[in-house]
Amino acid sequence: MKSRLLKINSPSARFVAAISMVCIMHLICLMCFTLNSLFAEMAMADKPHVQQVPTGLERLKVPANNELTAAKIELGKQLFFDKRLSGDNTVSCATCHDPEKGWSNDAAFATGVRGQVGGRSAPTIINAAYHPLQFWDGRAVGLEGQALGPIANPIEMDLNIVEAIARLSDIPGYRKQFKRVFGTKVTAEAMAQAIASFERTVLSGAAPFDRFKAGDKNALSVSAQRGMDLFFNKAKCSSCHKGGSFSDFAFHNLGVGINNENPDLGRFLVTKQEGDRGRFKTPTLREIHRTAPYMHDGSQKTLKEVVEFYNKGGIENPQLDEEMKPLKLSPEEVNDIVKFMVEGLASEHYPQVSAPQLPE
Amino acid sequence: MNKRKITMIAVITLFGCCFTGDRDAYGVEVATIAEGLNVPCGVAIQPETGHVFVADSGAGRVIRIVDGKIEAVITGFPIDKYGKGPTYPIGPLGLAFIDRDVLAVGGGGFPDAKDLLRIYNLPKAGAEALKADDMATSFSIDATEKLAGEGNFYGLAFNGEAIFATCNGDDTKGWISRAGVKGAKVGSFSRAIATKELTDVDAPVAITIAPDGSLAVGQMGEISLPGDGLLTFYDTATGDKLANFETGLSDVTGLAYGPRGQLLATDFAWSSPKDGGLFRIVAKYNKKKQGIEVEKVVSLDKPTAISIDSRGDIYVTIIGSGEGASGKLLKITK
Repeated sequence: MKSRLLKINSPSARFVAAISMVCIMHLICLMCFTLNSLFAEMAMADKPHVQQVPTGLERLKVPANNELTAAKIELGKQLFFDKRLSGDNTVSCATCHDPEKGWSNDAAFATGVRGQVGGRSAPTIINAAYHPLQFWDGRAVGLEGQALGPIANPIEMDLNIVEAIARLSDIPGYRKQFKRVFGTKVTAEAMAQAIASFERTVLSGAAPFDRFKAGDKNALSVSAQRGMDLFFNKAKCSSCHKGGSFSDFAFHNLGVGINNENPDLGRFLVTKQEGDRGRFKTPTLREIHRTAPYMHDGSQKTLKEVVEFYNKGGIENPQLDEEMKPLKLSPEEVNDIVKFMVEGLASEHYPQVSAPQLPE
Repeated sequence: MNKRKITMIAVITLFGCCFTGDRDAYGVEVATIAEGLNVPCGVAIQPETGHVFVADSGAGRVIRIVDGKIEAVITGFPIDKYGKGPTYPIGPLGLAFIDRDVLAVGGGGFPDAKDLLRIYNLPKAGAEALKADDMATSFSIDATEKLAGEGNFYGLAFNGEAIFATCNGDDTKGWISRAGVKGAKVGSFSRAIATKELTDVDAPVAITIAPDGSLAVGQMGEISLPGDGLLTFYDTATGDKLANFETGLSDVTGLAYGPRGQLLATDFAWSSPKDGGLFRIVAKYNKKKQGIEVEKVVSLDKPTAISIDSRGDIYVTIIGSGEGASGKLLKITK
């Protein structure tokens, strides 16, 4: 021990020892930093995300094979906002499902690449997590079944999925995230699961209606309260607009567009059942004031126009829903119902999301 | 949790356990008892005689099977149309015996508010059939300022004190209506349980009395949406919801308990008829929370109603997919 101390006490030995100490400290710092980053990444990848469900909405069902994690949701958000998932790099999911426009697009129809216009309006993403069947005609099962459809659709994003995988694989930031989240390369299934996970977080509840229902009698104006009573009784709106999302997620024929030269047959195109002619899915009414124009073809510009349409009993056709009958609502009653929807179903906690920084 | 709920859950648990034992050995034999029926929609077994009664709905009559032969019991019911394609003719729907010779028949042949719950004193087997209007008494449920009139009384159940009928008039409420019974006398008939307000799912259709006395109801949901059918239990006295289970079935048209307490259901599966059939429902616990497990017993072509006799033989009516009167009464045995 003594001889060692003596050695270190020599100037050269002290210099070597000091250098060694510095190197060791650097090494330790580097290891700590690396481990820290690794643990941080692992923590992010593995951290289950417990989605808070706003008051008034039902329990959120998440597929067992696609549990929510923070990193997966973040990846899904990036994909949702990334225009590189379109053929000409001009359209993202968010183009037609814009958070600033009620997660729809403020227009009668969805507009895709090269200015191509689709035949139906862009349904809101809000509370889409609850819809067992997706799209206006229910042709896709669940969010995972829907997520890649618009990317491949030649009118919407026009990028075949093989090309989409190749593009994402060329972006190191995406490669790294897919590896971290799914433990795989970029795959179609993983893309769908990530986008679906992000969409599953776009929820709206906790609106004045929910507070009123919970006992706060000042949560709704008198007019909105009258509208609520009409909504659930005389006007029969709750025949289809029911539950937490104000939708039965089923398909109904109101006669909208049925007299067009080539009417959109909606659900019939999927099932080929006669009874499904002209049936379209019931949309949510949460945040409905943000998602004009209305109906599957965006043919009705205002909520008042919509309620007046129902008041007339829709448009007669062989498959018209049995509930569609003239309602005999007065103009004041029409206004009250509109007031209820605008005032009562708009949450103070609107799911506002900003476009994320996209990986390079 | 109230006492009745605990009792009910205990009963479900019991039959769940009973069934677990012979799950793998559950084989069935399906025999046709009657064919050429036109949209049969109701089936009930007469106490003491064991005769099977069927609402041959599209033919506007109630029949019984005596010695393997069809015998008309009540004829001439009004007939309406149901559905937007396919469309079915419907007349008499639900059947329930109040006594050996007193039969309640739910009507579907008139518009809402005009449909009737009719009570008949039955003729003996072999006697001339009654006319539909020869009922002892009848009831309807009119519209009010806020509520639509009721109709299409699809399912009937009798618990010794009252007849319960599922209704298909007001889609905002999904009513089960009730008529009190004293002896063989039926009192007034009125709305009792707004099932849609309690479950958020429309169209109560199947109904039966559970072994613990609660009301078991199959909520059909939307015919255009697969998998949204519910099994819900209600207190018959208060109308309180006791328990509610998602079944994964699409359109539950019939519910019946067997002699050992086993619960069976028929699923019409409107949007995908190939998925329809007879199902058994057993209790299942997950982390001490009660749920149910639903398993298909046998595929059936558009089943509409079910009844089980004291021996455990299962009777199911099916509409069938053939042209014309392709309906059948089936007997399903283990």
